Amino acid sequence: MSTTFLPCGIYHQEYAKEHAWWQTPFIKGKMILLLIILFFIIPFFADSYGLSLCNQISYTILGAIGVQLLIGFCGQITLGHAAFLAVGAYTSALLILEFPWPAFMLDWGLAYPVSIIVAALMAGIWSVAFGLSSARVKGFYLILTTMAAQFIIVDFIITQYVSQIGGRGQAFSIPPETIKIGPIIIDSDLKVYFMMLFFVIICTAVLANLVRSKVGRAWIAIRDNDISADVMGINVIKYKLIAFFVAGCIGGIAGSCWISNLAAISPEHFPWSWSLWLVGVILIGGVGSIHGTIFGSIFMVLVMEGLQLLVIPLADIYPKLLMDFLFIKEAAFGLAICIFMIFQPYGLSYRWQQLKNYFNLWPFSY
Amino acid sequence: MLKKKWQKFFILIVSITFIFGSSSAFAEDMIHIGALNDMTGATSDVGKDYALGLSEAIHYVNDMGGINGKKVKLYQFDYGYRIPEALTKYKLFKRLDCKAILGWGTGDTEALSPTVTRDKIPFVSASYSGHLASADKTPYNLFSGTDYSSNARATLTAWFDIKWKNHPDFGKRKPRLTCSYMSSSPYCSAPIKAIKDQAEILGFEIGNDQSVSLFAIDTKSQILAMKKFKPDVIWHGNTTMSVAATIKDAYAMGLGATHLINVWGFDKNLIKLAGASANGTMGATVCAFLGEENIPLMDKVLEYANKYNPGIPIEKRLIRTVQAWGNVMVLWEAMKRADKAGDLSGESILKNGFETLENFEVGLGISPVTYTATDHRPGKTITVYEINDGKFQLVQKVDLAKRWSDKWDSWLGW
Repeated sequence: MSTTFLPCGIYHQEYAKEHAWWQTPFIKGKMILLLIILFFIIPFFADSYGLSLCNQISYTILGAIGVQLLIGFCGQITLGHAAFLAVGAYTSALLILEFPWPAFMLDWGLAYPVSIIVAALMAGIWSVAFGLSSARVKGFYLILTTMAAQFIIVDFIITQYVSQIGGRGQAFSIPPETIKIGPIIIDSDLKVYFMMLFFVIICTAVLANLVRSKVGRAWIAIRDNDISADVMGINVIKYKLIAFFVAGCIGGIAGSCWISNLAAISPEHFPWSWSLWLVGVILIGGVGSIHGTIFGSIFMVLVMEGLQLLVIPLADIYPKLLMDFLFIKEAAFGLAICIFMIFQPYGLSYRWQQLKNYFNLWPFSY
Repeated sequence: MLKKKWQKFFILIVSITFIFGSSSAFAEDMIHIGALNDMTGATSDVGKDYALGLSEAIHYVNDMGGINGKKVKLYQFDYGYRIPEALTKYKLFKRLDCKAILGWGTGDTEALSPTVTRDKIPFVSASYSGHLASADKTPYNLFSGTDYSSNARATLTAWFDIKWKNHPDFGKRKPRLTCSYMSSSPYCSAPIKAIKDQAEILGFEIGNDQSVSLFAIDTKSQILAMKKFKPDVIWHGNTTMSVAATIKDAYAMGLGATHLINVWGFDKNLIKLAGASANGTMGATVCAFLGEENIPLMDKVLEYANKYNPGIPIEKRLIRTVQAWGNVMVLWEAMKRADKAGDLSGESILKNGFETLENFEVGLGISPVTYTATDHRPGKTITVYEINDGKFQLVQKVDLAKRWSDKWDSWLGW
């Protein structure tokens, strides 16, 4: 992996400055511009379809951040992350619909925000439970134990028991105007967009801070060589479990946010294939990179959707093309992973760094 | 040099795409309709044929003059039974200005239901879930066939009326029912509450449910669990592939029960996949089987199947094609009526279209269709078939509303 070079002539003299997020006024300007685009331009110019794509990107980012933490930073391969999203979604839905909240909590719209926190904690605890096996096994064996999370949590506990609570049948309906944050009822794509954007920023910031802290350094040491990390005095099991807890919490937040986009949830919303998809996102975005997670999510949602928009006009000439699009999409997903693995093994984030370096060093790039 | 060649090729492709594509896609006097289909996902065993039927039916609609002279353009997408995908596709349909949507599964139809109600877009789906038939809760969710819950009640009633009387234990004990379905799937679990209620009404003993995946190819452990209860009838809530696997295992392990099957598990493929074990199975259908004789409009279904998909022989096509035609025909009629009233908005399609249909004869063996402002269950009479020697034979037509007139209204939305 290459590092990002600062623009010509800029050097840091303090350790804190070297680790600052926004190291130069130019970077600050870029980030302010990004925030303006995210908070003012996209929401007011995108239509319902555009916003729904943005919401899907946010959901993918929130799901993939946890996977990135586990695989990219801590080296713990997981293929059961969709289960923790399900825990978050069901905890939040159950709390909103079934818990006897005091009247003032409902009036002040606090039930949903509190449910998000509880959902995050629940998902974190479940994630730790399945992460316990990482103390003993790694690699392929860990993949199997994390996959068990899907079968035990989604296929067994949620399907057989949790879904039956309240006698709603399998589709757990969330009546309109149920999801409220303070006085705001989350009932439109725009409101969901702002809510999910808020959580994406918070979760990204939390992970970015953790990664540059003592905990993050321990994770990276475990990823690079767990035996060496142990020899250095790092409590490997403790830090692995912290990674599982944080990843589960973020997954819980993702699931909890996702229900605001739906009118009903069922176990079908959290298939095992979604866990695989999230791994694909970080492979394409770049393993071990936070912004790789974001690039991967944008790529997977927008490129696939862009392909579809390209196909719509062609359908007049080849009508079957529209109907068979999912085959094309699945093939594109597989092909993208193969191409990235061969030609861009460090993912989109590496390409982004190269691009930045080119401009940072310009006109003296070499 | 090579790069430039590729650039030119790419620009050429994009230009051709947009020149050809934009010619009719944005032509005036075209009415856009969206369709969500599953051709690759968990229910693709029945979804492919349904998708073909939709496109053929829309060709027929256009050949018959479209909607009062305006042609219909169908945007048909495969969403692979993935609900997040369905939500985005729905928004895309809105952007494409689709006046109505032909949907698919129960999970996504129920997930989209409030959004559809808010946007006032008629959503005619292949999910006949009874939950979607209440006009108060889900006014814009519609379908042409009898609902799953009524079908389940009718099939159990037909078995009770005809088969149980001839059983050696008749009069000595209660008949026993077990349900076998994928409990995580809203489609599979939709009629379970209703069939258990019907079983109680008819005096059945009810055993534990058995969870069978839609992808199941081996169900021996579930059959073993059923054997302990010794059921007389088993309700299968899945689609054809997994139902065939279950009844084959039941046959091989000598379970000895009669199999009652939900709409999407009861077709010609069941006979092919399950062979001799399919004999004696019963199921309700919402329309006639493909190719059945003396059925109005069936000749057109066959003609268009041959014309537009000649690569797939008729012998390989299923009743799903007819179901698709049924939904398109009902939507077509509703849109024609709304257009005649001078307003083709979603609200008008519902009020001036669907809710004006009273005993409307669709043909295709579908019960006369009636929608009222409160009740969107299209039919009251359910046709129950049995497979005998590899053929479907009519067993009974059950009129639930007549037989349980005191309960019929209260069953709305089950």
